[in-house]
Amino acid sequence: MVNSNANALGIIFPNSYDALVPELVNVRLMASIPFASRYRLIDFILSSMTHSGIDNISVMVNNNYHSLMDHLDSGREWDLVRKNGGLHIFPPFAEKESKPYVGRVTALANILDFLRDEKEKYVIMTDTNVVVNFDFNAMLQAHIESGADVTIAYNEQELPESVFTYQSNDKGFYYTFDLDGTRVKKIYVNPRTHGVLNFAMNIFIIEREMLIDMVNTAFVRGQEYFERDVLLPQLNKLNVQAYKYDGYVARISDMKSYFDENMKLLDDYNLDALFSGPPIYTKIRDDNPTRYIEGAKVQNVMSADGCVIEGEVENSVIFRGVRIAKGAKVKNCILMQDTVIESGANVEYLITDKNVVITAGKEMKGTDTFPVYIAKFQQV
Amino acid sequence: MAKEMIAMLLAGGQGSRLYALTEKLAKPAVPFGGKYRIIDFPLSNCVNSGIDTVGILTQYQPLELNEYIGNGQPWDLDRLYGGVHVLPPYQKASGSDWYKGTANAIYQNISFIERYDPKYVIILSGDQICKQDYSDFLNFHKEKDAEFSVAVMEVPWEEAPRFGLMVADETDKITEFQEKPKNPKSNLASMGIYIFNWDILKKYLEEDEADPKSENDFGNNIIPNLLRDNRRMYAYHFSGYWKDVGTISSLWEANMEVLDPEHSGINLFDEDWKIYSRNSGMTGHKISAGAEVENSMITDGCRIKGTVKHSILFAGVKIAEGAVVEDAVIMGGTTIRSGAVVKHCIVAENVTIGENAVVGAMPSGDENGVATIGAGITIGENAVVGPNAMVKNNIEGGEEQW
Repeated sequence: MVNSNANALGIIFPNSYDALVPELVNVRLMASIPFASRYRLIDFILSSMTHSGIDNISVMVNNNYHSLMDHLDSGREWDLVRKNGGLHIFPPFAEKESKPYVGRVTALANILDFLRDEKEKYVIMTDTNVVVNFDFNAMLQAHIESGADVTIAYNEQELPESVFTYQSNDKGFYYTFDLDGTRVKKIYVNPRTHGVLNFAMNIFIIEREMLIDMVNTAFVRGQEYFERDVLLPQLNKLNVQAYKYDGYVARISDMKSYFDENMKLLDDYNLDALFSGPPIYTKIRDDNPTRYIEGAKVQNVMSADGCVIEGEVENSVIFRGVRIAKGAKVKNCILMQDTVIESGANVEYLITDKNVVITAGKEMKGTDTFPVYIAKFQQV
Repeated sequence: MAKEMIAMLLAGGQGSRLYALTEKLAKPAVPFGGKYRIIDFPLSNCVNSGIDTVGILTQYQPLELNEYIGNGQPWDLDRLYGGVHVLPPYQKASGSDWYKGTANAIYQNISFIERYDPKYVIILSGDQICKQDYSDFLNFHKEKDAEFSVAVMEVPWEEAPRFGLMVADETDKITEFQEKPKNPKSNLASMGIYIFNWDILKKYLEEDEADPKSENDFGNNIIPNLLRDNRRMYAYHFSGYWKDVGTISSLWEANMEVLDPEHSGINLFDEDWKIYSRNSGMTGHKISAGAEVENSMITDGCRIKGTVKHSILFAGVKIAEGAVVEDAVIMGGTTIRSGAVVKHCIVAENVTIGENAVVGAMPSGDENGVATIGAGITIGENAVVGPNAMVKNNIEGGEEQW
């Protein structure tokens, strides 16, 4: 058969790191958080997989996944309506043994029968809090050439400020590693180290058969976390390779980074870095183009379709269907879908969730270190 | 299962009066309104009216149009039974025929229509911008117990001689048809949108085909024959926005009217009557610090650093610092370099306009031409394109075309 596909299937964990952005996942999960004016976080991983020829993708939803189901629908926008493979959404309780999971091990244990039946030689696992236009083929190639048992992608970056204020580990685990060449020598769980680190992006490649064995063994032992409980104790035994990713990475680690990573895309350099690769697909809304009416003043703004702008907007990211009335002032804001800023309102450092209304004449200001978040459907 | 009504969309027009825009493109595929193509309007009207089966009759330069329609999914017309079908002329055992006329195009696809066993067939035109509920039209057709109905628009009497006119009595029954008459007896212009009872249409198509002298045209042959036989023919008054965009100036004008929905009547911001299109898949548009954007429509993929006034930009247009765009229609993928001045014109897809080039001019006195630049053209630095120019070939730096 002509080899137009990668010999790998994808498994996506859309709930990973939900706890980092509690406000944003109140009505959704990490994967369906709006980003960059017209996307959801999962669009980046899904599109990257599609472009890498991975067309058998499983999404292991755990909770709060209604918005994601709505977004993904049949998977058509990502070309994932396939007779063989395509998009599979595995909700908890899909079978009598499958329960909501805590870590990857239980999640994978829930779908072992499925994994056994598939044909692809390799499995690629990812979370969705890392925004990348990623070439999975290049990583798969590196994995095969290195003869690794497991390959983990990482980038060099500092830890987000917020981790240094954590009092406990209840926001989940993040990992950094020490390397010997490209081999992972040591894995740190929730380190609090300053400076540039080898920060795991939680993109893994492993042979399917090996993964099934690992999950079987770990599950019997009551283990939960693939990195902490499976890889970390076996670093001497397993050849775990690190794959350095030099491309553009936007990592959502807290509200601050969510705000900053959106804002960074107002810089053309960053925008090109993230989007100059193959296109990122998303759900189509069939909005009309955005209309700028006489009197609109717009400076340094990224906007999707379907908006009507009559007021002043500066340094902001505007999602689909936003209305900014005459005399309104918007500065340093992220306005999600269908936000309405009525006339004379004056807002700064705001993150409005979907369908928020800021009524006429209201003034609301956050600061650059603490943007104010307004929940879905709230009227101010 | 029979369909109540299916649509046949005439999309074979060459659109020769759009010159540079239709050199490699069928007229219905011409971009319109920032992210649409002309054919999105009748297709969206169909699906919004509940019509789920559409045959598209193509002939001239069909490649891009065929690719655009694809399986019909953007219009929700990918159906197991019905959906959208592109119907080009095809080879038969006894030779192949181009579509000789509008009626002949339908005649050659009688077997397609019969697969759906419809009671009614609506004939649509692929070169108009119009938002119309065809189900209202069908209700009218049924209430009148008509065999043939035609949608008509009232036009100013002085313009009436440019149209095919329906003369109707007070019950809207058509008594006479005048094709571009010198002395109009009516100001009801045919919109070229017809509903037929299928049995009647089939009978008249077969009769028309048997007549070697016929031009096989609805206006010139089928309608006169129906009148001759005193068929039950009615005129359905439509009063919404309707525009034939068959010329450069009317295409430009219709685009400008999109910018003023409050007065022009063409509102693309209608949640209840969405116009669907195939998506560019580009990222959100970006307006840089220092840019000036006023009274314009801008869509995905655009990067604006210069000045844009009263213009429509399609997906992926780039306007550099210091460039000025006014009263212009700039189609997808076009780049306008710094210092260029682009006014009162239509620039087709993937054009590059060099630094400090001048394209078109605002109207002054009797001079109100719409400069037009064809797809893929490069206009060199400091080149000048006059307001009446029709640019089909690259213009070198510093040169002029008027």
